[in-house]
Amino acid sequence: MTSTAPSTRTGAGRVLVAIYGVFALAATARSLVQLLTKADEAPVAYALSALAALVYVAATLGLAEVGPQPRRLAWAAVGFELVGVLTVGTLTVLDPELFPDATVWSSYGAGYGWLPLVLPFAGIAWLLHTRPRHGARPG
Amino acid sequence: MDGPLPLVLICASLAFAVVVLVYVALARTPDWGLLGFAGVIEAGALVLLVVTAIQAGGADLGVASALTLFGYLLAALVVLPIGFVWSLAERSRGATAVLAVVGLTEAFLILRALQIWPS
Repeated sequence: MTSTAPSTRTGAGRVLVAIYGVFALAATARSLVQLLTKADEAPVAYALSALAALVYVAATLGLAEVGPQPRRLAWAAVGFELVGVLTVGTLTVLDPELFPDATVWSSYGAGYGWLPLVLPFAGIAWLLHTRPRHGARPG
Repeated sequence: MDGPLPLVLICASLAFAVVVLVYVALARTPDWGLLGFAGVIEAGALVLLVVTAIQAGGADLGVASALTLFGYLLAALVVLPIGFVWSLAERSRGATAVLAVVGLTEAFLILRALQIWPS
């Protein structure tokens, strides 16, 4: 069986990787500063920020086709990101006092221009758009 | 951070992003003019980092604020070169549009640094 998978890092994918890269850099740096300087103030929120940072790094690497199974990594990362932003977004809208300090996913990412909410949908749409096409049946 | 340089850099970065979007709309690939524009912004970001390091000696900054401030300024210094490398590796509208993301990010980073600076 032959299958061709269009690259996830060319064309519009290049912009997507760049935006994910910015989020990966920003979330990682912010999380490091929070954990190094005031980890005891809001440990759950800061741990969540660190987790979000890891997800953005994984999505960036997956979409940029780094590593042995990049497409699987990208799917896992954007899937987790979507669940994360919807869950944390809903929880923080229902109970704004839940986390003493904001995370990137609080209020569906309203503090970051709603981009954290839009990004996973864009990521999933791009992964579907570039999914492998099976060229021939075996045998 | 005192003085007009941060605001000039923010405006220049936003203008750079707009110029890039015009390039994308016209399906033009990045040229030496665009590279020169980015070079001027990069030089400005370097000057801003050095000037801020000098001014920070007399400013009332906590450890966390100083860490964050210089984090933003260092990021503003590296985001342009990394963005250009990622963009110029391919000739496509998407690749050119990466530079618009870079311009907007540069403006945002300097804006955040400016917000941290005690005025």
